[in-house]
Amino acid sequence: MATKIVERGGQVGRSVSRLEGRAKVSGRAEYAHNLKLPGMLYGKIFRSRIPHGKIRGIDTTAAAALDGVFRVVTGDDVRALIPNPYFGPAFHDQPVLALEKVRYVGEPVAVALARDPHVAEQAASLIEAEYDELPAVYDEVEAATSKAFVHETLKPAGTFPDLKYLEGKRETNIALDFHLLRGEPERALAAADYVFEHTFHTQTVMHTPLEPLVSLAEPGEDTVTIYTSSQSPSFVRMEIARLLGWPENRVRVRTAFLGGGFGAKLYIKLEALVVVLALLARRPVKISLTMEEQFYHITKHATTTRIKSGVTKDGRIVARECDVYWNGGAYADIGPRVTQKSGFTAAGPYDIDNVKLASYAVYTNLPPAGALRGFGIPQLVWAYEGHTDLIARELELDPIEFRRKNILREGRPQAVGQPIHDAAIDAVLERLAQRLEWHRPFDRGSATLRRGRGVAIALKAVIAPTTSVAIVNVYADGSCALYCSTVDMGQGSDTAMAQIVSEVLGLEAEAIRVVHPDTDVTPYDMATLGSRSTYHMGNAVKRAAEDARAKLHALAVEAGAEGLPVAEIFRKRYGMQAGNVVGTGTFIPAYQSPDKKTGHSENVTPFWMVGGAGAEVEVDVETGRFRIMKLVNVADVGKPINPKIVTTQISGAAIMQLGFTLFEKMAFEDGRLTNASLADYKIPGFLDVPEVMTSEFVEAEQHGGPYGAKGAGETGTFAVSPAIANAIADATGARLTSLPITPEALYRAISGLTQERG
Amino acid sequence: MTPFELVEPPSLREALAALDPVDPSTRAIAGGTALMLMMKIGVFKPARLVSLRRVEERYRRIEVDEDGVLHIGALTPLSAVERSPLVVAKAGVMTRALLTLSNVRVRNVATIGGHLAHADPHMDLPPVLMALGARVFVAGPSGERWIDVVDLFRGYYETVLANNELIVELVVPPQGKRHADYLKCTTLSADDWPAVGVAVSLEIEGGTVKDARIAVSAATERPRSLVRAVEVLRGRPGDEATCKRAGEAAAQELEVLPDGRGSIDYKKQLVRVYTARAIRRTFEAALLDGR
Repeated sequence: MATKIVERGGQVGRSVSRLEGRAKVSGRAEYAHNLKLPGMLYGKIFRSRIPHGKIRGIDTTAAAALDGVFRVVTGDDVRALIPNPYFGPAFHDQPVLALEKVRYVGEPVAVALARDPHVAEQAASLIEAEYDELPAVYDEVEAATSKAFVHETLKPAGTFPDLKYLEGKRETNIALDFHLLRGEPERALAAADYVFEHTFHTQTVMHTPLEPLVSLAEPGEDTVTIYTSSQSPSFVRMEIARLLGWPENRVRVRTAFLGGGFGAKLYIKLEALVVVLALLARRPVKISLTMEEQFYHITKHATTTRIKSGVTKDGRIVARECDVYWNGGAYADIGPRVTQKSGFTAAGPYDIDNVKLASYAVYTNLPPAGALRGFGIPQLVWAYEGHTDLIARELELDPIEFRRKNILREGRPQAVGQPIHDAAIDAVLERLAQRLEWHRPFDRGSATLRRGRGVAIALKAVIAPTTSVAIVNVYADGSCALYCSTVDMGQGSDTAMAQIVSEVLGLEAEAIRVVHPDTDVTPYDMATLGSRSTYHMGNAVKRAAEDARAKLHALAVEAGAEGLPVAEIFRKRYGMQAGNVVGTGTFIPAYQSPDKKTGHSENVTPFWMVGGAGAEVEVDVETGRFRIMKLVNVADVGKPINPKIVTTQISGAAIMQLGFTLFEKMAFEDGRLTNASLADYKIPGFLDVPEVMTSEFVEAEQHGGPYGAKGAGETGTFAVSPAIANAIADATGARLTSLPITPEALYRAISGLTQERG
Repeated sequence: MTPFELVEPPSLREALAALDPVDPSTRAIAGGTALMLMMKIGVFKPARLVSLRRVEERYRRIEVDEDGVLHIGALTPLSAVERSPLVVAKAGVMTRALLTLSNVRVRNVATIGGHLAHADPHMDLPPVLMALGARVFVAGPSGERWIDVVDLFRGYYETVLANNELIVELVVPPQGKRHADYLKCTTLSADDWPAVGVAVSLEIEGGTVKDARIAVSAATERPRSLVRAVEVLRGRPGDEATCKRAGEAAAQELEVLPDGRGSIDYKKQLVRVYTARAIRRTFEAALLDGR
């Protein structure tokens, strides 16, 4: 090695402060929300007020006549530009604007365009639509067999080849069903000493990014540029190109920092709409949703899970059956992926020989549901960790001891058949026990203020197989930029990726410039989702940096500049400060698709995420109000690239899940949302953070991950809800099986127990 | 939000003149924390807003007069009330209630006059002020008048004020030997509006309750003064059993409304428990103070 670039190291594993921190706190950071272009029009969406119906007519005359209105656009106008204007990642089921039918309250039906956003808003309020109402269905279990069909025909996108078989299926609301069979669960259940069966529910919630969805499209001569608050610029480009019938190189998608994403800004949201509007108007068009409008674009799946286990006298789980129903709302979004990719872990982080799983993505007449920080895992954990505690309680076994006896250990096969490697389930469980001082006597409080404690653990597979590409560009003065399409939405990916580049090239992480996603500039990335970036993009970035290092070395050899500083190498080779060295890296993990019949795969995920939580609570039994005295969060994140950011990821995820545990719930009455504002839909504030909260990672290493690291963005969400419910049950004997755990629900449960006893 | 006319008169007199006696689309705006929310969601579409931000400075003053009466100008921001040593000295329960009211950003902007005139039944201060026997001084084009806070609220988001009347000042009488407390119960996030708020003011003599004022908010259509619960207390010591009976009387006498923060039955239970606890706490503090 003769170049001046040497392996200095020490960049990875260092708690580098976020590269963008200063720009953010000083208000200089770039957001799509702030962007204005000359001649730009604002669009305001007119929405359906009924849950399901045939559109009889849309009256836009009053709106179009309003002073200052540029144009009013309906679904028919969209069809004039795009004959088949349906989009979506898993199914092409969502119209750019409603066509023929509306399928949920809040669905976009028309858009008013004006130079002045207030005029656009006023115009939208003047639009009227008439409908012939159709029977609607809201409950996921009911919808699975209902005769009220949300869609006439299923339209799988073809993006995912394993959905092809659903093509053209009629008269069903089940968008996808996933099945897994391992061993002989029926026989094992019949032979078990005990059989337990419970049903759990989770509610519909919203992602609530503080920067609401916003997209802006600018038409060019034969191109279109989209500025959008998106987690998946590469996908947006593909999908827009498909809709328009254009090659990808005529569509340019750019993102800035995101004011939070959490899955709300995945795949395609407002982008198709602003593109159509901009092409029709021949002007830039921007749509910025209000906080309230976000409730009508994307939610987290409500679920119903039936879970049944066979257990031996000495506390070994020998069989488990789970049926999970996912309330997908009116459009599939990524719901079918959630159903399958999370569905196969429904039996939990346990070593069970006989498993039968069924997972159903179901259409209903509610706003579309997609991925929200955990990709369906928190819903499943709510069920299996509540169930686990109920069994332990019933068998009078210590909940931690019961888990110890049953957890998956290194090398044992998960239900899908893949042997478990680098999943620190045992270490996470033991750390929880340690942090809660489980072995010590516990103060159970008084008659009216009762105390209890509980734990929960969880396992998640990463979405696979997915591809990331990165470019490292070394400039002639020796400075360096990373081009990658990972979207920094607050998780600190810019900083982590810069650390990887600097580790390879022997630079300071702070000196690396990270170029934000721009599909004309930065290469392909599947999306920033599901805690995949650190592992996938991290590997691609590492390869790109290694490629650049090798090319620099070759250049030095070629120029006879070995051992000289980088700038000198370029000067010697090109005679002046000129040239580039461009390193590229691509990463896709090995993968085996699950067998159609059995759901088996030897390699379904490149890595596992493990999360655990422990809680101590004090319940006021006269009101059902409770306080969380202590919340302990433990995660396996492999070897963290940036320990400080990873720790805040764990705590941030836990606090977010706390909202979904305690009070967040979109309340529907006949398909109408009754709390569509932050005045009534409350999210956690600082005062809701538990008095004592710790967040940490256990010592671990992910083989195949960049420098032993893996994803950490979601792990903190997994186990919070059941840990709290288990602590409450320990305190009061009252078991909540539906989220959120409101004081009223708990008070009723406690009163019910008192009445039963009385 | 649609465009509207905004006027900013430099005096209270001109502000009153700019208001309209009948047209509800003309309204006064002070801090705007509530009104702006209603405008953003389109519940309120003003034709004209009369901003009070430029009226005379004296409507932002906090003073105690020679009789020990606390005067708070209607345009005083809630955070100024919260931080006022005069308020702590004369009506400490207000300070304590303010610390739990919404959040610091709202308190920095919202005014005490707007807080009362808005008449949202979930507000924290109305029951407190009712328990303190407070009054408001009101000005209109045809003159001025006093209204007891107990009589200020007519219904859901409705006061007895005419469309062109403004609250000018809040007045809290000296509390003498009375002790007061406020218990707030939230069922969603910690900084949410209360599901139930209970304010209690007690005068204790010889270990028993000589006089009591109890007011409940958030569970009812408008903040209410309790009558039967007060009767239960009068002449009795504030022991556990008496407090429970008073709580039960409170739950019986109120017509409770459900909302996203609790059903009727649950809110009645909260009224029952929180009324009893608020009385008990106030009584204990009074006893301790009397010793």
